[in-house]
Amino acid sequence: MATLTVEIVSPEKALWAGEASALIARSSEGNFTILPQHTPTVGDIVSSIVRVETTEGEIAFAVHTGYFQVGPGSEDGETLATVLAGIAERTTEIDVARAQVAKEAAEAQLAGSSKGDQDDSVIYLIALAALERAELRLRAAGLQN
Amino acid sequence: MAGGQERVLRRRIKSVQSTRKITKAMELIAAAQIPRSLARIIANRPYRLGMQRIILEATLGDPAGAAKLLALPEKVDTALVLVITGDRGLSGPYNNATLRAGERLVVKLQREGTQVRLFCVGKKAAAYFRFRGLEVEESFVGFVDRPTFADVQLVASHLAAPYLDGEAQQILMVSMRYLSAGSQAVDVQQLLPLVIPELPVNDQSTKLKGYTEFEPEVEKLLYFLAPRALESEIYSALLEGAASFHTSQQRAMAAATDNADDLGQTLTRVMNRARQDSITTEIMEIVGGAEALRSGK
Repeated sequence: MATLTVEIVSPEKALWAGEASALIARSSEGNFTILPQHTPTVGDIVSSIVRVETTEGEIAFAVHTGYFQVGPGSEDGETLATVLAGIAERTTEIDVARAQVAKEAAEAQLAGSSKGDQDDSVIYLIALAALERAELRLRAAGLQN
Repeated sequence: MAGGQERVLRRRIKSVQSTRKITKAMELIAAAQIPRSLARIIANRPYRLGMQRIILEATLGDPAGAAKLLALPEKVDTALVLVITGDRGLSGPYNNATLRAGERLVVKLQREGTQVRLFCVGKKAAAYFRFRGLEVEESFVGFVDRPTFADVQLVASHLAAPYLDGEAQQILMVSMRYLSAGSQAVDVQQLLPLVIPELPVNDQSTKLKGYTEFEPEVEKLLYFLAPRALESEIYSALLEGAASFHTSQQRAMAAATDNADDLGQTLTRVMNRARQDSITTEIMEIVGGAEALRSGK
C-alpha cells in the first residue's frame, strides 16, 4: 500500500514525524501538495504555514523558510517527505502574546527607519524579517482557533 | 624545628584536599553535562543528515550546475577561518589541540599566499590568537557550553556575508569532532564552497540518481541553500565541540582528583614520619636529660 511518512525537523529537534495522507506547503514556485507516490523532489519552502493531513486531522506548522525532500522511504511503497526548517513551530505551541509584542516592536522600528538609508538597511531588513515572522506566527495561531 | 615542618605539611595537605574538592565537583558537573550535550547532537542529526542529502541529491541531479557553485577557484585570495574552542580552560587537551591545529592551518594558508581572516568562537581561541599577534576579526563568546541555533545564525551571517560578496573564496572551520566517548579528534572542514557530503552508500538518496525533480533548479537551489548548509555544519560542530569539551573536562578533572588523592597520601605519610621523628627526638631529649640529672647526683 502506498503510504506517506512526513518528518518535520529543525536543527534543534525533530518536531514531528508520522504517517500522513498529504503534505501541503508553499515553495518559491508556488503552492504544492505532496501525496503518497509523489515523484522524488527537492525544493525550497518559503515562509508559510505547512500543513500535514493525518487520519487524526490536520496538523499545521509555521515554517520560516526551509527545504524539503521527497523520496522513497525504507519500506516498500512508502514515500518519505522531509521538511527541513531553520525555525519552525507547531501552531498549537505559538506564543501569541509574544508574537504580538514582536510585531509591534518591528513595526515601530520600520516606521522609524527609511529604506533608502544605507546604514539603516541591515536594521531595516532585520526588522522586516522579524515582522514577517511575527505575522506568520499570528496567522498560524489564528488558524488554530 | 620538627614542629615547624609538621605544621607546613599539615597546611599543604589541607590545600591539596580543598583543591581535590574543587576538581571532584568539576568532574561531576562535567559528567552531568555529557548526556545532555549528546542528546543535543542526536536531536540535530536528522536535520544535518537531511541537509546533506539535499546537497548530495542536487549535485547528482545536475552535476554541471552544481559544479559552478562547488568548485574552488584555482587561487584563493582570501580565506575565512573559524576556530571553535571553549570559553573555559581546565579541560585537558580540548582547547590546545584545536588551537594548535588552527594555528598550523593559518600558517599554512599564509605561506601559500592566502590572506586569512580569522573568526573565533570561545574565549580561549580569541585570547590565544590575539596573544600571538594575529588579528581576530570577530570573536563570539558565551554560548559554547550550550549553543542554540540562534547563536549559530549570528556566527554564520558574519561568515556568509564576505563570501557571498566575493571578498573571500573559501570558508574553513577548525573544531573538535566527537567520535565517541573515548575519542575526539580535531578536524579541519571546508564549509564553503559546499563539499559533496560523504554519505553511506546504502543511504536512500544514492538510489534516486537521475530522476529527482528540483524546484527551483539546482543552481538557484544550491545558491540559497549554501548559507543554510553553513549554519547546519557550524551548529553540528558547536554541539560536538560542547560534548568534546565536557568529556575532556571530565577526564582531566578525574585525573586531577586522582593526583590530589595520591599527593595527599604521600604528604600525610611524610607528615606522620615528621611527627614521629619529633616525638622520638623529644623522648630522647627527656631521657637524656633525666640520665644526666641522675648521673650528676
